[in-house]
Amino acid sequence: MANESEVRGAFDNLKDAILKYDVDAAKRAAQVIVDKGMEPMLAIKEAVAGATGILHERFDRGECFLPHLVMAGDAMMAAGEILESAVPKESIPAKKVVVIGTVEADLHAVGKNIVAMILRSGGFEVHDLGVDVKSSTFINRAKETKADIIALSCLMTTTRPYQREVLEDLESMGLRDSFKVIVGGGPITPEWAKEIGADGYGADALEGLATAKRLAGIEA
Amino acid sequence: MISLLDIAERSQKGRKMAEDSWNMSLFNKISELVKRYGIPNYTSDTSFLNLDDELTERVFHAGVDLLVEHGVYCITTGRIIELTRKEVLDAINESPSEIIVGGGKDARVMKQRKIEGKEPLNFCPGHHAPFTEELAPLVVKNFAQIPRTDFIEGFNFVEVDGREILGAPIEVYAARRQMSWMREGIRKAGRPGLSIVFYPITTRAEVLMAAMDPVDGLRRGDGILTSVLPDEKIEHDLLAAAIACEDYGLWRISGSFSMAGGFCGGADGAIIEGIAKPLTAVICYRVYVNYTGVENVRTVSAMTIPLQPLNWARSVVNQALNRHTNIICMEWVIPTAGPGTETNLLEVAVRSIEATINGANLYAPRHSRAQMNAGQTPLEGEFMVEVSDATLAAGIDRERGSEILVRLARQLKDKHPEPGMSIQECYDLVNHRPTPEYEKIHLKVKEQLASLGLAFT
Repeated sequence: MANESEVRGAFDNLKDAILKYDVDAAKRAAQVIVDKGMEPMLAIKEAVAGATGILHERFDRGECFLPHLVMAGDAMMAAGEILESAVPKESIPAKKVVVIGTVEADLHAVGKNIVAMILRSGGFEVHDLGVDVKSSTFINRAKETKADIIALSCLMTTTRPYQREVLEDLESMGLRDSFKVIVGGGPITPEWAKEIGADGYGADALEGLATAKRLAGIEA
Repeated sequence: MISLLDIAERSQKGRKMAEDSWNMSLFNKISELVKRYGIPNYTSDTSFLNLDDELTERVFHAGVDLLVEHGVYCITTGRIIELTRKEVLDAINESPSEIIVGGGKDARVMKQRKIEGKEPLNFCPGHHAPFTEELAPLVVKNFAQIPRTDFIEGFNFVEVDGREILGAPIEVYAARRQMSWMREGIRKAGRPGLSIVFYPITTRAEVLMAAMDPVDGLRRGDGILTSVLPDEKIEHDLLAAAIACEDYGLWRISGSFSMAGGFCGGADGAIIEGIAKPLTAVICYRVYVNYTGVENVRTVSAMTIPLQPLNWARSVVNQALNRHTNIICMEWVIPTAGPGTETNLLEVAVRSIEATINGANLYAPRHSRAQMNAGQTPLEGEFMVEVSDATLAAGIDRERGSEILVRLARQLKDKHPEPGMSIQECYDLVNHRPTPEYEKIHLKVKEQLASLGLAFT
């Protein structure tokens, strides 16, 4: 049985590997945790989540960039698979699923990309549908993936109504209660979110993550 | 120069790649080029304007290499458009360094400027911001009344004839109404031949082309916004519009700045994409006028004022484009604080000074989170010209300019940008002048700039 100092060291190694975007080192660190009989779920909670918090702070300060969030996400996923393989499947909480995209007739991707990466590194399973996404595509993909949340981005005043379109389509299909819907983007305000009946709003990516966690019932 | 039809064909036949893979592959290639060309990362809070002429040559070659070695991605087909070095260099050599926009007595020449050049800047006072339809013709008239205006861009709005704009049919109608309001506004300002640029209601091909109308819409000599997408990507509706517009006789403008923090990496990588992106606009959409430079991925939602290293990176990009290509550079002035505020005018001043010295022209000042009727007033536009003229009159070079920008940045650094006011709250659209309160702020900022060495007349 590993002592507390060994556990701390192993968790720190995993966190460091993720923060260095090193997939192989993250896998090795995760394997050590499993081989030495340490608690895998505690490692996910402490080491992986701890790395996430640091990454988000770095991104917010402009010290790391979108590709680094992708690479850190890859390292987290690789380590997560090893850690989760060591515990019974039924004891692993299912990942919350988000379907995200920029609404129809809008080609702006940057804000949506940031939110997608922040959500992914924040522990969500994210399905990024890209830009100029029709309402039916959002809904069909949300159904296919059994999504918890649909996240709608837009950057143009003239494409804002397509966020409402998704909510109206969900309502008309009797699916409104099946998914939480969050909205964001340059011209989006909390008032607009309220007006169209969205469940949440994020002024920026980190606020979007906090909103998504709240709506998905994940402790912040 | 390679034809737009060649580009269209390559976008249908090029190598397939998933967009996620393209993004990371772009990051890896740019990182490699940063090392190959020794592009420095930002090191100093005092270097607001680049003084290293040899660096501009290196970043130019890095930008060309990015296009030649990595290509351009079409998001519609998921294919890569590959380009040879000769095709890229031909495009650079064969693109014009000046174009005529507008018609009759209102025609203007849009020109590439030079680093520390002495000639007055080309200037677009707005819009690229949302306005309601009842204000539209009056707002356009006010922007057209600014004597130095070389062209005006359209605006977006949520209702047309009292109906919400939703779906292609109404978007097409709204595109045509935008143009008729623009025509009405410039006519009322006594400048019927002033070049107008269509701001896409949405980017569907049918909407982009609906604005073409020799009587009441876009005429030859007018323009359209067809921007290259971030991360070296293009798209078919915009390419279709570029082909139609080229044939019809419209000039194009592209938002060709790169965004640090995205898949290009930090400021060093963004500098390389900042070179490649306007070249992509030339090659893929035949765009000769580009608003260029480097922003940050979070600029549009920034709660703090983005300053260094973006000012330095913008400076490197604009200087490199002016020195090594014919691209007509404009700098987008995108203050984080809203109109009617001192912070907004100080941000406008920073951008206008750096544009003047780096050899860029001035493009559409507009609040970064512009809300309806609250994104801009004619005063910020006129102020851009006042500041650039005063910079030229004082003969401010890169070193002196950097010193001035450092002092202004120090003042802006810890400011929390205010949301600002609506145009009706801080500008008298009937008499074409700011409110007394806004004018007081304007004069105060001018006095401060004069104390730093700018020579206002």
